Amino acid sequence: MEEEMANRRVSSRTRKVASKMAAALTSNDNRTQAAIARLEALENDNGAVEVVDLNDDEETSLDEDDDLGYVQKKQYKGSKRKTRQAKALEARKAPKSFTELLQETNLESSPSHLPSYLKAAVGPPSSSSRRHFCSVCGYIAGYNCCLCGMRFCCIRCQNIHKDTRCQKFVA
Amino acid sequence: MSNNIVVLDNGGGLIKAGQGGECDPLVVIPNCLFKPLSSKKFIFPPPLSHGADVDIDLTSAAVRRPIDRGYLINPDLQRDIWSHLFTSLLRITPTSSSLLLTEPPLSIPSVQRATDELVFEDFGFSSLYLANPQSLVHLYEASRRPGSILSRTQCSLVVDCGFSFTHAVPVLHNFTLNHAIKRIDLGGKAFTNYLKELVSYRSINVMDQTFLMDDAKEKLCFVSLHLHRDLNLARERRNGNVIKSTYVLPDGVTHTKGYVKDPQSAMNFLTLGLSDEGPNTLLDTKLDNVERKKADMNKNEIDLTNERFLVPETLFQPADLGMNQAGLAECIVRAVSSCHSYLQPVLYQSIILTGGSTLFPQLKERLERELRPLVPDHFDVKIITQEDPILGVWRGGSVLASSPDFESMCVTKAEYEELGSARCRRRFFH
Repeated sequence: MEEEMANRRVSSRTRKVASKMAAALTSNDNRTQAAIARLEALENDNGAVEVVDLNDDEETSLDEDDDLGYVQKKQYKGSKRKTRQAKALEARKAPKSFTELLQETNLESSPSHLPSYLKAAVGPPSSSSRRHFCSVCGYIAGYNCCLCGMRFCCIRCQNIHKDTRCQKFVA
Repeated sequence: MSNNIVVLDNGGGLIKAGQGGECDPLVVIPNCLFKPLSSKKFIFPPPLSHGADVDIDLTSAAVRRPIDRGYLINPDLQRDIWSHLFTSLLRITPTSSSLLLTEPPLSIPSVQRATDELVFEDFGFSSLYLANPQSLVHLYEASRRPGSILSRTQCSLVVDCGFSFTHAVPVLHNFTLNHAIKRIDLGGKAFTNYLKELVSYRSINVMDQTFLMDDAKEKLCFVSLHLHRDLNLARERRNGNVIKSTYVLPDGVTHTKGYVKDPQSAMNFLTLGLSDEGPNTLLDTKLDNVERKKADMNKNEIDLTNERFLVPETLFQPADLGMNQAGLAECIVRAVSSCHSYLQPVLYQSIILTGGSTLFPQLKERLERELRPLVPDHFDVKIITQEDPILGVWRGGSVLASSPDFESMCVTKAEYEELGSARCRRRFFH
């Protein structure tokens, strides 16, 4: 992550990016970024976008507690700015998400005849053909946007997509 | 001295709690802390039974859940919720009671340890019994239908579509066959979030209105039996569109809860049935008689057309969302195929649907339709729905708690302190 930051010219203005988008941006492909970010967003407890400073410390984890997102909103009202230590303490106190706990238990190394959380996942579908739905109206989509890869069904939907949402996820 | 037994179904969405032996749980509350706009701190949610007289404004409420992806990761938060539950709502003293707790299958050791600590060290229950919700459902259904295949063979396949995920679990002699469990990572939470995403893009931004969209999902979403036909119908304009429905958002002044604008017409999809043609002519006359309600410009309304059935559709094909997981029908087939071949015909004949997300209308018919081509011809497929999928697990726990040898099956506090969490767990699951 640090090499990427060094290569890009980083502006001194702090840029706010949704945290899930920030995690997705580390991969190079825009379309997979957006897809992964959408799936992660399905597991949100709160719908509001959790705001993360791009120029922030490495220490604060991106999957932080929802609380921090809300406290940051109120920051503009003049509450105390947290010191780096306080932020690190909070990051450590926040409970780990299930995915982190899962990685810690290191289930791949356990013997293969024991059932485990990972083995219980139903695998990929037997037919890899997907149905695509238009992102604007929901009908069956036949085409996709050449710039960002989102689907649409007709020219009217394509125009709406171009006006409102195309390239929203790319910095 | 008989302890009173507290049966606690600790779900990702709702906690169902009550005394063992009763027919219904005493208390059903959401398993979260929420912070409505009117207050600065997180408060406990009101129990669901007091539906009508709740005047807490639930719009834009932030939510903190102790359960993430189905497993308990935040014991502190759960402790707060439980202590509120035990002291103010259930009014029991933990030290003189036994606890029957549910836990999702295939949990990881750190979560299990945290749960045990919470029960024994923080609350000090005198004994604990841990059960998988699916085996409790099997027990309940077996006790309700004494003559059926289910209870004679002591074997069934429980499909549990809950808040966090969906499991297909074969149960034999009240034990879950862990090597054959299959899981889809879609549940009520994912459906609500998907609905929020669709609505936010197409009409009003509702990304932070969890409770409202939950309500809209429960009242308006249904499973389509014929996707292409329903998509075409949803596109039609006013008169022909039997699927379109309007949900009125609360405005804080006249009403604090959202409601469906025209509940009667929202049910029109039921007339569509399994056929491939459009709606019958009978329906058209009904539409003419109903007064066309004009859109009220003062209220915020959202129109739902194809979102109503696209949301539950993802359970049958998670690839629609981009998830690389098989749908519900295939999940069932894979779970059954992982079992011994003698069990397979029995499992197909006793499929039990449970969990809050099975309350979508027409889910059973659609599942039968999808499952039948995947199952070999000489097997019978029979799907049983529960009369109350949300309370089904709790009722099974209540049945188990009232069995005479329940006390001997529990782990007491002394045993826990002597042997530790891992040894005690081996008594429950193998």
